[in-house]
Amino acid sequence: MLAPASRLGYARSRAQGGVQGKRRFAGDRYAAWLLPLPAALVTAVLIVFPIAFLLYMGFCQWFFESASTWRWVGLENYIALVTDSRFVGALWHTLYFAALGLVIQIPLGILIALLFHQEFPGRGLMRTLLLLPMVATPVAMALVWVMMLDPGMGVIRYLLGTIGVASPAWLSNPNTVIPTLVMVDSWEWTPLVALMCLSGLAALPTEPFEAALLDGASPWTRFWYLTLPMLRPTLVIAIVFRVIDLLKVVDIIYVMTRGGPGFSSETLNVYDFFVGLFYYQIGYGSAIAVVLFALVLGVTLLLMRVRRATW
Amino acid sequence: MVRRRAVIRLSGTRARTLRRASLLLASFLVLLPFLFPFAWMVMGSLKSQVAYTAYPPVWTFRPTLDNYEKVFTTGHFGLYALNSTIVAGAATIIALLLGIPAAYAVARYRLTWVGLLLLVARMAPLIAFVIPLFVLYAKLHLVDTYTGLVAAHLLITLPIVVWMMVGFIEALPREIEEAARLDGAGAVGLLWRIVVPLTAPGIAAASILSFIFSWNNFLVSVVLSGYHTKLLPVGIFNFLGYESINWGPLSAAASIVTIPVLALALVAQRYIVRGILSGGLLG
Repeated sequence: MLAPASRLGYARSRAQGGVQGKRRFAGDRYAAWLLPLPAALVTAVLIVFPIAFLLYMGFCQWFFESASTWRWVGLENYIALVTDSRFVGALWHTLYFAALGLVIQIPLGILIALLFHQEFPGRGLMRTLLLLPMVATPVAMALVWVMMLDPGMGVIRYLLGTIGVASPAWLSNPNTVIPTLVMVDSWEWTPLVALMCLSGLAALPTEPFEAALLDGASPWTRFWYLTLPMLRPTLVIAIVFRVIDLLKVVDIIYVMTRGGPGFSSETLNVYDFFVGLFYYQIGYGSAIAVVLFALVLGVTLLLMRVRRATW
Repeated sequence: MVRRRAVIRLSGTRARTLRRASLLLASFLVLLPFLFPFAWMVMGSLKSQVAYTAYPPVWTFRPTLDNYEKVFTTGHFGLYALNSTIVAGAATIIALLLGIPAAYAVARYRLTWVGLLLLVARMAPLIAFVIPLFVLYAKLHLVDTYTGLVAAHLLITLPIVVWMMVGFIEALPREIEEAARLDGAGAVGLLWRIVVPLTAPGIAAASILSFIFSWNNFLVSVVLSGYHTKLLPVGIFNFLGYESINWGPLSAAASIVTIPVLALALVAQRYIVRGILSGGLLG
C-alpha cells in the first residue's frame, strides 16, 4: 500500500491551486465520455460502420474488379439464397458441425474436469498443459493434423493399425469429413470446456457432498443429482461460447479441406469466403454473411432465453 | 470430502498411494492425445527427408536442422515472421492505449454500451467485417499495408483488452481512487498514476493474450494482406503443395509459428481461460 499512498501525496501537492480544482471538476464531469471516446470512435469505424455497410451491400449487386456499378436489387440476394443448393448444403453442414461439436465437447469436457478435479501430484502442471491446444495457431495445427491423418503415410493410420483397426478415409470421404473436422475442433476446444468446468467445480460448496456421503449416495448419484445441477450455470456459458465459435469456424476447414471433397464440408463461413472473396460477388457474399451473423445471434439469444427461463 | 478422506486413511496409506497413482496415470492418458500433435510436429521438423517419408513412421532418428534451414532459405518466411510480430505487436499496443481508458469507463461509469458493442464484435463472424473492410480498403489503397492490417486486427485485440481490463479494474478497491479524487486527481491522472500501476499484472496478461490471438488469426491476413505484408498463418501455406507435401519443412514452419505462442501462453496461463471468454477469438 506504500506506493499508491505516495502517489496520493503527489496528487495532493499538485491539486493545491484553485485552477487545478476547477479542472478536476471539469475532468470528472467529462471523463465518463472522454475516456472511452477514442475506443468508441475506433469501435464505430471498425464495428458499426462495417456492419452497416454489410447490411447495405446485402441489398446490392456488385462485382469487385469489374466495371460493374452498384445496383440496388432489394431482397433479390436473399431470395436467391433459398434456391441456392450450395447455400442450403452449407447451412446444414454448419448446423451439423455445431451440433456434433457440442455433443462431443461438452460431455468430454465435463469428464476431463471431473478427473482433473481430483487430488493427485502434478495436477497443476497437467492443467497447464491442457491449455496448449487452444492457444496454438489453428492454421499450423490444422496442417499438422492433415499430416497425421494422411491416408497413406499418416501416423494415425499406423497407430490404429498396430491395434488392428482399419483407418477410415478421414478427410477424403464425404461421410467422414465433417466428423473428422469436428474431431480436430474438439482437440482444440474441449480443453476450454474442461477448464471452465474445473473452475466451476472449484467454486461448488462442499456441504451438500458431505451430506450425500453420509447418506451413502453412490458416486453416480452424487454426480447426477448434485454436481451436474450445480454446475449448470457454468455449463450454459460453456455451451453459449462453444456454439458461437462452432457456427463460425472457418480456418481449420479452409486449411484442411477447402470445403471438399466436392462441397461436402463447406460451412456457411467457408462458402461465404469463396463467394465474397474468391468470386468477388460482394453483394451476394454480404447477404450470406448477414445470414450467418443472424444465425449466431439468434442461437445465442435463444440459449440466453432458455437459461433465464430455467434458472 | 472430509469424511471420504478419513475413510481412505483408515484403509491405509497404501490405498491412497494407489489411488493417486491411478489418477495420475488416467490423467496422463487423457492428456496424451492433446499433446501428441505437438510432439509429432516437433519430431517431424527434426527428421531428415528419408525419415519423414518413411512408412511405418520412424520414432528414433538422428535429428537435423535441415528443415528449419529450408524454411528460411526458400520463400520469405523470415519476412512473414517479422510482419506477424509487427502487426500483432502494434495491434496489441494500440488496443492497450484505447482499451484501458475505455475499460475504466465501463467499470466505473457503468458505460455498458461500449461493452455491448464489443460483445457484438465477439459474436459476429469475422467475415462480416472482412468483406466490408476489403471493399473499403480497395478504395482507400489500404490492402497490403501495415496500417490496414493493424486496424483490422484491432477487431481481435480491442475486445480482449477491454473485457479483461474491466474485470481487473472492477477488482480494485474503490477507496484508493476515491481518496485520490478527493486529493484532486483528475480522471487522466487517476488512470495513469493509480489504475495502471495497480493493474500491471492484468495489463501484462491482456497484452499476451491479445498478441497471441492476433498472431494466430488467419482470415484477416488471408484477405487483407498482400505480397509485402503476408503474415505467418498465410505464409505457412507455401509448404503445402498439392501433389507432394513437404512434411519436414511444413513441420518446421508449423513449429516456428506455434512455439513462441505456446511459450507466451505458459507465461500467462492463469489468465487464459478468462481472457478467451472475455472476448477473444473472433473467427
